[in-house]
Amino acid sequence: MIRNFVLSASLVLCSSAVWAGSYADASDAPDTAMPAHEVDIEAAKKIFQKSCRGCHGNKAQGAASYPKINDLEPEYMADKLERYRAGEKFGPNSILMIQQAKKLSDEDIANLSVYVATAFDK
Amino acid sequence: MNWNKSHSRLPLVGCLLAGTAILSSPVLAQSGMNTTSLQHEVVLDDLENPWDMAFLDDGTMLFTEKCKGLSIRMPDGAINALYGVGETEGYGSNGADLFCEGQAGMMGVAFDPEFANNRRIYVYSTSNMSDPHTNRLMRFTLAEDFTSVADRTDIVDDVPYKMAASDHPFGGPGAHNGGRVRFGPDGALYLTTGDNHNGEVPQSPTMMGSKVIRIDTDGNAHPENAPPEGFDKRTYTYGHRNVQGIAFHPKTGAAITAEHGPWHSDEITILRNGGNAGWDPRPNMAGRGDCPDNYCGYSPNQEEGMNRYERAAYMPMTDFDTYPDAMPPIWNNNGWSQGTSSAAFLEGEQWGDWNGAMVVGIMGIGFGGTPIGQRIDVIQFNDENTDVEDVTEMTLPMEPGRFRSVVMGPDGSLYTAIDEGTIYKLTPGS
Repeated sequence: MIRNFVLSASLVLCSSAVWAGSYADASDAPDTAMPAHEVDIEAAKKIFQKSCRGCHGNKAQGAASYPKINDLEPEYMADKLERYRAGEKFGPNSILMIQQAKKLSDEDIANLSVYVATAFDK
Repeated sequence: MNWNKSHSRLPLVGCLLAGTAILSSPVLAQSGMNTTSLQHEVVLDDLENPWDMAFLDDGTMLFTEKCKGLSIRMPDGAINALYGVGETEGYGSNGADLFCEGQAGMMGVAFDPEFANNRRIYVYSTSNMSDPHTNRLMRFTLAEDFTSVADRTDIVDDVPYKMAASDHPFGGPGAHNGGRVRFGPDGALYLTTGDNHNGEVPQSPTMMGSKVIRIDTDGNAHPENAPPEGFDKRTYTYGHRNVQGIAFHPKTGAAITAEHGPWHSDEITILRNGGNAGWDPRPNMAGRGDCPDNYCGYSPNQEEGMNRYERAAYMPMTDFDTYPDAMPPIWNNNGWSQGTSSAAFLEGEQWGDWNGAMVVGIMGIGFGGTPIGQRIDVIQFNDENTDVEDVTEMTLPMEPGRFRSVVMGPDGSLYTAIDEGTIYKLTPGS
């Protein structure tokens, strides 16, 4: 399913479409932990540019003392963002992440998790 | 959502910038009011947290990578890996005691002004040779063929290091080491250090964090240093937070620091020999109560965003109430803290009106409503060179990044390293 989505996301990025194709549309997609969801790549990109890149780097490749996140599975990243949003502390930069995550809706988290995992060359 | 509105043009800009990066075109330029047209060139890419560079007149460039080590790029582009951090493979030799953690690792680097005669270079790194661990300024001899270093001598071995995590933002071990290494026009060696998230360090007369250290190349105090009585004589200035930028005014020779503020008030300060920068994050003083782990540097309300001026009133970057004679900053980034890191002066007629102006690299943060602010600012001084007259954001011909280092090259171009792993060359002209 992720592979299907990666292809879809890449095409959408190149065509500058506002709404990405959804992996819910992939007819052969198996059941996954992530809910079926239309992914708004442009919305995710805006959040990334404003809230993520300043620390994690312009390609989410990690920078300074901030970890690489473009290699994370979307499900893993979504789980972490949800835990930060709930105020859970884990890792040395929890205070920063809690502040960033608490502004995010479920949709934002879903969008961002897929965008970060698929948008950059690795 | 607000961020959608405020960044509504980013997708288009992002696409354009991405296109320029992919094409790696050297002929891109932008022009406009108060903007010098610039070309950019990728000098090195895919580095791991490049931290600093230093040049010889022929373009030979030393550079450090925080967790990997010290390397040198020859004028023909060949890279020689000289001295590795810990067990990092691929280096001519290694410092088994060197390590990286959080913000700590291998940082500043400099050529000796007499390099042609003595082959000496200097590099600053975190080391576990002492316990508790420290940051050390090492001197090496660089081989005639530029392929190896020898004769390591630790000329400063006692800059404190943060050993354990604390209850603060960015609270992991290794915080606030300063790290820039530069020779001044007086021939002295300057090393900038940081507070380690330790409230006692900045105003301490003996702990060598939060200082600008001025020494000779053996590590001895400069004889004209004038710190207060009882201070370590290597102290040129003290009471800093975490100085990562230092440069020397081309006309006055004054040492000028660019410093990263505590969620407010990045600062540029013209140093005064023996001066106090006025940072004192101890609890239970200056109207403050207890603070997490005895460090008020992010107080009050360290887990939430809040008005930067309210923060500054509670925990000032320069506390004039407590230290009326503190060195006054000449720039405070409009009260923001956005990760001000490094500084240099532009040199040469090719820079037009910016010839002689200071440039400051800003890494960006984006917390609690603060704009990320990744950029290079051009700071123009007044006629007396005593204050800031104008600040212009450099219009960049490439995508911005975490601008860790800005260094003038011998070719008249400005070189800048971003944490993301690239060293760029910025050249005026279209």
